[in-house]
Amino acid sequence: MQSMEFPLVLFTVLSQAAIGLTLMRAVRTTSGGEEAAGRTEWLLIAGLMVAGLLGSLFHLGHPLSAPMALTHLGTAWLSREVLFAGLFMGVAALAVVAGNVAGKPALAWLGTALGLGVILSAGMTYAPPALPALNNALPAAFFLTSAVLLGAGFGSWFADEGLRPLMVRIFTGAVVVGLVLYLVAPCVWLSGGEVMRMTGQAWLASGFYWAHLGVLAVALAVAWKTRDIPAWLPVLVLIGELVGRAGFFADTVHTAANMGGLY
Amino acid sequence: MKKQYAFLVDSERCIGCFTCAMACRNYYHQEEGVVWRQVYPLSEEIYPHRERAFLSLACNHCEDPACLNVCPVNAYTKREEDGVVVHHQEKCIGCGNCIRSCPYGAPKYNPVEKRAEKCSFCHERLDAGLKPACVQSCPTKALQLVDLAEMQQTNQVQYPAGYPKMEKLNPSTRFILPKTPKMVRR
Ligand code: SF4
Ligand code: SF4
Repeated sequence: MQSMEFPLVLFTVLSQAAIGLTLMRAVRTTSGGEEAAGRTEWLLIAGLMVAGLLGSLFHLGHPLSAPMALTHLGTAWLSREVLFAGLFMGVAALAVVAGNVAGKPALAWLGTALGLGVILSAGMTYAPPALPALNNALPAAFFLTSAVLLGAGFGSWFADEGLRPLMVRIFTGAVVVGLVLYLVAPCVWLSGGEVMRMTGQAWLASGFYWAHLGVLAVALAVAWKTRDIPAWLPVLVLIGELVGRAGFFADTVHTAANMGGLY
Repeated sequence: MKKQYAFLVDSERCIGCFTCAMACRNYYHQEEGVVWRQVYPLSEEIYPHRERAFLSLACNHCEDPACLNVCPVNAYTKREEDGVVVHHQEKCIGCGNCIRSCPYGAPKYNPVEKRAEKCSFCHERLDAGLKPACVQSCPTKALQLVDLAEMQQTNQVQYPAGYPKMEKLNPSTRFILPKTPKMVRR
């Protein structure tokens, strides 16, 4: 088992929640929804992003040099991730500070586009050749699912009555996609090369993995039964995503762990 | 082909004595637990005579290095003159991305410096006309310094069993496989 990378767990999950909220805001404003609560929602978006960015600094050996991480945009997806995250943060801060622009759909769509840039570059950053199980589109798919799930969940706090059912539908869809992705991936890995197989076994034996799936199952049951998203449910889902992400980092096996063995 | 220095690991000659790994430690005095060169025994599935089949590995000075590509601060360079991949620790901010990304586990985290570090082929020694410390120390000449552009031998392989096959990176290390020992019947 590797480290669970707590700062990266915080950064990836909280930034994905912020991006998901922005996406849902864009969807709602375009669907003719409310704009009044715009500033409060942007405040939550900016707050989540600030918390994630601060958390990420603890991951660096030299946090004060963090701005240097922008210097290899040519090939390093991590540099691109930092750039997109910075720009996204700028949009969120603008919406909070200049309250009169907060309700503009254009701002939400701009934030969404930059946010998708964050998710894509994070997906590439955590898909290195050294982690065969994740050296593919799965990290990006996991991250996008988390963003939509958390976005629709927390977005339900801000949705008009008329648009709540839309949030519930998106939320339920994202839970189902998440459940399928997380159930299928380790099973497929079991038939892969040695390190991929080891990863599948590690995930299936991991408390993080099952706790995450358990939360998703509860979320599905509650949303299906009540046809709604109770106010507490997004918080539970957030905890589930944090736990699942800890497993993503801790339980994925690195090729170097099997040096001298069969690959 | 441009000059590309590489380690040639002759597993037929290697006796698993760890002298190369120790020479590296003696030369650089890495922190406790930070290992740049490691001698890995081959699993019995690959070679049934474990007591004499090893891979001595450090950084492979890849043609297209994962470490260099993912480092957000440009802390890695690949030297034009000999293909050596050098880590510049003063630039490193300790994000761990290279450690996560190198399939060969070459970069390691130095908990005291809070930065990554790895084998840089003793490039200061190369520049002074000397061999790397590990190569210099090997008592059986199992570890050699070669230039891939000039290497003539045909019995080396790039991806032996027990070593991740990463064609995109194109690691420079070459191996001579161990022979199966002859059984002598009385
Ligand atoms: S072996 Fe790893 S550290 Fe060395 S050059 Fe290749 S990718 Fe970089
Ligand atoms: S740990 Fe240092 S050398 Fe490695 S990727 Fe991060 S900044 Fe670059």
